[in-house]
Amino acid sequence: MKLYVPHDTTAVAAGANRVADALRKLPGAEIVRTGSRGAFFLEPLVEVDTPAGRAAYANVQPKQAATLLKKKPTPIAQIPFLAQQTRFTFANAGITDPLDVKAYGFSALDKARGMGPQKLIDEVKTAQLRGRGGAAFPAGIKWQTTKDVQSPVKYVVANADEGDPGTYSDRMIMEGDPFRLIEGMAICARAVGAKKGYVYIRSEYPAAIRRMRAAAVRALEAGMLGPESFELEIFIGAGAYICGEETALLESLEGKRGMVRPKPPFPAIEGLYGKPTVVNNVVTFATVPDIILRGGAWHASMGTEKSKGTMPLQLAGCIKQAGLVEVPFGLTLEEAIYAFGGGLPKGSRFKAVQVGGPLGSVFPEALLKTRICFDEFIKAGGILGHGGIVVFDQRTDMRVLARHYMEFTADESCGKCTPCRVGSTRAKEILDAAVKGEATDEDYALLNELGDTMKSTSLCALGGLAPEPVRTIMQYFGKEFQKRR
Amino acid sequence: MPPLAQVLERCATTPPNILATLQKVQATLGYVPHTAVPEIAHALGVTDSDVAGVLSFYHDLRTEPPGKHTIRFCLGESCLAAGAEKSLAAIEKKLGCELGETTKDKRFTLEKVYCLGNCALSPCAMIGEDVHGRVLPKTLADLLKEYKK
Ligand SMILES: Cc1cc2nc3c(=O)[nH]c(=O)nc-3n(C[C@H](O)[C@H](O)[C@H](O)COP(=O)(O)O)c2cc1C
Ligand code: FES
Repeated sequence: MKLYVPHDTTAVAAGANRVADALRKLPGAEIVRTGSRGAFFLEPLVEVDTPAGRAAYANVQPKQAATLLKKKPTPIAQIPFLAQQTRFTFANAGITDPLDVKAYGFSALDKARGMGPQKLIDEVKTAQLRGRGGAAFPAGIKWQTTKDVQSPVKYVVANADEGDPGTYSDRMIMEGDPFRLIEGMAICARAVGAKKGYVYIRSEYPAAIRRMRAAAVRALEAGMLGPESFELEIFIGAGAYICGEETALLESLEGKRGMVRPKPPFPAIEGLYGKPTVVNNVVTFATVPDIILRGGAWHASMGTEKSKGTMPLQLAGCIKQAGLVEVPFGLTLEEAIYAFGGGLPKGSRFKAVQVGGPLGSVFPEALLKTRICFDEFIKAGGILGHGGIVVFDQRTDMRVLARHYMEFTADESCGKCTPCRVGSTRAKEILDAAVKGEATDEDYALLNELGDTMKSTSLCALGGLAPEPVRTIMQYFGKEFQKRR
Repeated sequence: MPPLAQVLERCATTPPNILATLQKVQATLGYVPHTAVPEIAHALGVTDSDVAGVLSFYHDLRTEPPGKHTIRFCLGESCLAAGAEKSLAAIEKKLGCELGETTKDKRFTLEKVYCLGNCALSPCAMIGEDVHGRVLPKTLADLLKEYKK
């Protein structure tokens, strides 16, 4: 009998390896290690096949293994957190063995091999696919730019730096369905005329690195990659948030300091080693196979007016049901936190939510009706970014949180431009004083000014957007900064 | 051949990749001693300052030998929301060292990290390559015991 046990980092942190070991002792048990479905509050989630589809045992402990199968499992379709989702990009995560080439199939790449490069790009354009890494730029336009440049050498690079705290969707794809990323990149390579690609993975993801390396080998053996078609290399980062910014990433990939390059020229025209390079986020690439299989119009039929398709939201922080939620764009922040996340744990009351990582914003309860799509977030004074949603409860000292953001920026600034490097350090000092209740009105005026300078004169969006969380905290929770010693 | 020379032999690519080379050196020696910079630069055909520049840029690269186990404690927003600061204070107290330091017995080096992608189980820490969740003051002692040797 097949028993499916996730091998995902979070599932393992919840004890999945020990559970797998215990279940292996059952007579006739065949353990299949999968990725995770992302319902992390239920991990370790052990699944079995039933005539009506997969069914699961939640929060399994090793000591329950011996008698587990005597109990009745819950059909997956009856787990509301999962049943309410629209899974496409994450359709396989938690279901299949991530390294089973046959189960994956590569049918989109097969189809793509029968389509001309321009046709592939046209599908992505019709799909209105926008980048999921943060900037939400239309992928089709980027691909077209690279395709149209005459150059014997071009590159395709997957941005797997996933630096925004509170996000893990790239990690889940790499650990749970790595072939989907490889397939998306191979399709892109075919579309733009590239023969070589890289996945730049942050070093904080050792399991994802191992899985991607193994997947690349298997894809090569299966003829899905190869020196004639598309070669793929895995490159490991070295702990630098700025290397998620595409030009810093390319510098890093060349082995240099991760310093931001001025744009233009854009990487699509002059990227890695000065050659035309498509840089896309992991989830962006992973969305491509379905677009090729089902057609761009299918993708464009989901979502809101300008945000098409589905978005993997990642619930984190002070929330009952933390996990990955793939849904069409358009639900409200409130629905994400309460209908999917189950609200806050006992003893916690909602205070604030961060969306879009440390370059996003911190919203109060009054903004929970904001609809989740790129444009509504901009209108509300934030960004959706990579889809991380981190909830804070009443115990959060907003001054400490504000200081954290500036400490983060000071730690992670590449140092190339002064506004970001010096501005973040000065701002952090002011917020240090604020935490102690020693900041004056003049200090806060200076903080504001520093923020404005960073925003308007920084070389990249790190300095440009880093003041945003602090600005929104001051705007919505300004009262807390009036507390003086 | 000494270990450093062996690593460098494998790294002489065109064009040279300084970061990948330093990562390999660190994987072999545990750190990248300042004194190795000229040899690395020579092997790659770049300047000493090119190598030193990359070495100082990345948080992962270290120029001092670390303790036996490196604890990378998460101070990302999800972990902060779940009380990471209390857990960190408890770890610092238990180890008798602060962020960026190594314990006297050289068992542990304590560092911060911003997110391990394990946010659903915040607060989190990575010890070696193992990611742990729900790292709370009351569960710390048991966790560290696993890494005593
Ligand atoms: C400071 C900074 C950090 C970034 N970090 C990431 C990251 O970790 N992952 C990512 O995909 N994009 C990140 N980006 C966005 C990239 O620069 C780039 O827009 C993206 O990789 C393009 O892919 P996409 O269009 O598919 O989103 C970051 C941008 C900035 C300014
Ligand atoms: S914020 Fe700590 S693991 Fe993500």
